[in-house]
Amino acid sequence: MKTFQDLILALHDFWRRQGCAIVEPYDLEKGAGTFNPATFFGVLGPRPWRVAYVEPSRRPADGRYGENPIRFGLHHQYQVILKPPPSDIQDLYLRSLEAVGIELRRHDVKFAHDDWESPTLGAWGVGWQIWLDGMEITQFTYFQQMGGVDLDPVSVELTYGLERIALFLQEEDSAFDLRWTEWLTYGEMFRERERQFSIYHFEKASVERARTMFEFHEAEAKECLSQGLVFPAYDHTLRCSHLFNTLDARGALATAERESYIARVRALARGCAEVYLAEVVRAGAPR
Amino acid sequence: MPALLVEIGVEDLPAEEAEHVAQAFRDNLLSGLAGARVPHGKAHLFWTLRRFALLVEDVGERQEDVVEEIRGPAVAVGLDSQGNLTPAALGFLRRYGASPEKLVRRKVGDKEYLFLRVEKAGRPTEEVLREIVPQAVREIPCSKFMRWNGGMAFLRPLRWVVVLFGEKVVPVELAGLIAGQESAGHRFFGQSVRLFRPEEYVAKLKEVRVLADPRERAEVLRAAIRAVEEEHGAKAALSEELWTMILGQTEWPKPVVGRIPQEFLSLPEPVVVAALREEGKFVPFTRQGRIAEVFLGFAEGDGEPELIRRGYERVVGIRLRDALEFFRKDRERTLESRVPELKGIIYEARLGTVWDRVERIRRICQVLAEKLGLPRELLDRAAFLCKADLLTVMVREFPELEGVMGGIYARLDGESEEVAQAIAEHVRPRGKSDELPQSPLGLALSLADKLDGVIGPIAVGEIPTGSRDPYGVRRRGSAVVRLILEKGLRLNLFSLIAEVRSYYPGTTPVEEVQKFLWERLRSALEERGIAYDVAEAVLFRMDGDFLGVWERAQALQALVGKKELQDLALAFGRVRNITRGHEVEGFTPDLFQEEAEHVLWRAYLSVKKEVEGAMAEHRPAEALEALLSLKDPIDRYFDEVLVMCEDRKIRENRLGFLTELSHLFLQVADLSRLVVPG
Repeated sequence: MKTFQDLILALHDFWRRQGCAIVEPYDLEKGAGTFNPATFFGVLGPRPWRVAYVEPSRRPADGRYGENPIRFGLHHQYQVILKPPPSDIQDLYLRSLEAVGIELRRHDVKFAHDDWESPTLGAWGVGWQIWLDGMEITQFTYFQQMGGVDLDPVSVELTYGLERIALFLQEEDSAFDLRWTEWLTYGEMFRERERQFSIYHFEKASVERARTMFEFHEAEAKECLSQGLVFPAYDHTLRCSHLFNTLDARGALATAERESYIARVRALARGCAEVYLAEVVRAGAPR
Repeated sequence: MPALLVEIGVEDLPAEEAEHVAQAFRDNLLSGLAGARVPHGKAHLFWTLRRFALLVEDVGERQEDVVEEIRGPAVAVGLDSQGNLTPAALGFLRRYGASPEKLVRRKVGDKEYLFLRVEKAGRPTEEVLREIVPQAVREIPCSKFMRWNGGMAFLRPLRWVVVLFGEKVVPVELAGLIAGQESAGHRFFGQSVRLFRPEEYVAKLKEVRVLADPRERAEVLRAAIRAVEEEHGAKAALSEELWTMILGQTEWPKPVVGRIPQEFLSLPEPVVVAALREEGKFVPFTRQGRIAEVFLGFAEGDGEPELIRRGYERVVGIRLRDALEFFRKDRERTLESRVPELKGIIYEARLGTVWDRVERIRRICQVLAEKLGLPRELLDRAAFLCKADLLTVMVREFPELEGVMGGIYARLDGESEEVAQAIAEHVRPRGKSDELPQSPLGLALSLADKLDGVIGPIAVGEIPTGSRDPYGVRRRGSAVVRLILEKGLRLNLFSLIAEVRSYYPGTTPVEEVQKFLWERLRSALEERGIAYDVAEAVLFRMDGDFLGVWERAQALQALVGKKELQDLALAFGRVRNITRGHEVEGFTPDLFQEEAEHVLWRAYLSVKKEVEGAMAEHRPAEALEALLSLKDPIDRYFDEVLVMCEDRKIRENRLGFLTELSHLFLQVADLSRLVVPG
């Protein structure tokens, strides 16, 4: 039986052999691996780019107090970027599933239409959710735009939901029963954390302070952008994005206001993409 | 004659769009063949999400030959008196590089011309295919275009092409691919397959576990659904969307029946149905209005049914356990108790909280209750509660249940049935093809809700421009128009808006809102097949009775292309032209001088009553019918009467009469805006 960490290592091994740089998670809160600078900046510009990494991803609104077997405020994504994508990319992806021990011919595998969009990043792409016996295990996207910029060449992003795949491999029904390694379960590591963060995000987080912090980081990001400091600006953009998610989970935003927050984060992301292309890529500076 | 097979292999198309893509491909390819003058027999379309293919019987091996005749100079110019070619004719020949024996004489009207006969031999069909196949694919209208590598943009990446003409492979080039005879089998349960003859397509693909014929797949689906229905005495809760999804999701569908654990069956039916149907995954079943314990999924290919069933049940269990928990949590409190918390949700900085929004909706409802004769207190209660389900977990998780949950919770809270139904219906229509509310209260509440979503943003200056419409004002505006048109709401929208404008902040004048909705009405008319000029004719001046505009547009549209309408339009055009800028109030028949004036006057008097009567009863077709009889008198009038005569008194009198006549027409439409061929 495969442990959670075996799964990660198997994916590392598979994608390393495909020429991916295996990089580390980025050290700021984010909703998805897409927000990691290795993806955001990596897919911009003409340079070929292949990376793979695990990304702990925080989605406050998905928290369930540690009581739901498969929903969490923080889950683990395995993220792969292939730029440009090879023409057998679908097969390559399926081979990676076999490499981690899923016998595809025993199961029902579907590529179900799911065009991905991140309004906060000003990014969109087309692709699928991959369903394994009805459960979404991967988001597969041909990125078309990032930070409002048309991509050329385009990239493929694969985002595996590690908890869900591990459920299949370990034949468990609850992620909290998953073995992270022989002597440690996923529940021991994360259940209490999930409970606390759910309480925080749904009940306790100060809406007022979250709004203030949003303003602060937004101002800081703008200031950095005006100085051409694109990477610090991007960090503040990530913080804004997470604060927006916090406000959203707290139920503090109605539709229309939500839109306006999203637009503010998107404006920052767009600014980062533009400054990056203009000053970093064009200048040929090392990334 | 040989058959033709063209198969385009793609990465998985959206299940809901695969059939449209295939049909567009068929239409394009067949019109390509027709345009290239390649004769052919019957065509058969096949598709799955990974391919679309057209098999055409009896395709000609060459284009048909054609002879074109190009007109040159007139005979009188091209030939001299001895019948020799003149420099003009020689120049004409030179231009086409042709020799004199290709010239023939042809009569056009009563004049004879020299024509050059150009014979074009048909090219081999194979050559033609290299042009029309790529074009047929490129011209498929996709909902969204993506790029992968290289030039082409399409819905999903193209991965292989098969073109077989008889037994010959035609190496058509498309998106960097070269057509061959190799097709792909099922992704996991079939290998690639070599095709030798077009006719064997369906059978050969079946060998590699692909049911390329959608009719065969539909049969598999239907048989499986029937089997469950019979075995469990239940009825499938299919929807059109769900059917499209399951038909499009697999190349080799295998039914898998799962069970819903007892603990979830107490959930309201819409919740379970929504959870199962989510993303087109599973077919729910109902028995006597309640959810049945079975569900059905279709696996892609020949996997292990037991293993797959366990997976399906796990997914369903996870989603329903969620739902049950949401339901339990939500039921801890009444909807009513949640309403004050709407003050904590900001709707929009300038427009306040959702509570403020509810307050405005309530006030609009007051006005509507009066205008539409509805029970004021019930409507107000429904309006008061209508947004409270936004604070429930269920709606946060299943946004498509907004309103529906409000209705369910309201009923459980002991609210009256009318109130519960109005809450449930007030979010409709969500989109262009969504159903409208059924109950009168639901209709009024929906209208108030949509109006608030239009007036509010516009009042504070958020008028949609181009593709910028962050508040969804256009969608709501279209919903307002739909509600009025399709539910036959007789009310003056403009005066309603003017009445409620003061509830809103911002400085945008009320006319902006009215203009905006007027434009929505214009697009609604277009979408409903009203010709552009007909729309212009009824939209020539703003009018808050949208239903009336729509009725007048329909009446007019019904006569489009009819000669009598065109004649009337021309006649009215004369009235309109001469009075435009010269509108004069008042006239007296005593000053009429010509017989034609009296004739038109009498005709006008008899028609006027009919038109006004018909319009008062909202029967514009009859009014239009009555106006048709004015055509002859008007024509005669203009033939015999000089309106702009020297005598000022006579002239003004005539203009006064014509002005009044034109006002009668304008109650129906400004016919002078119709485009009349000629």
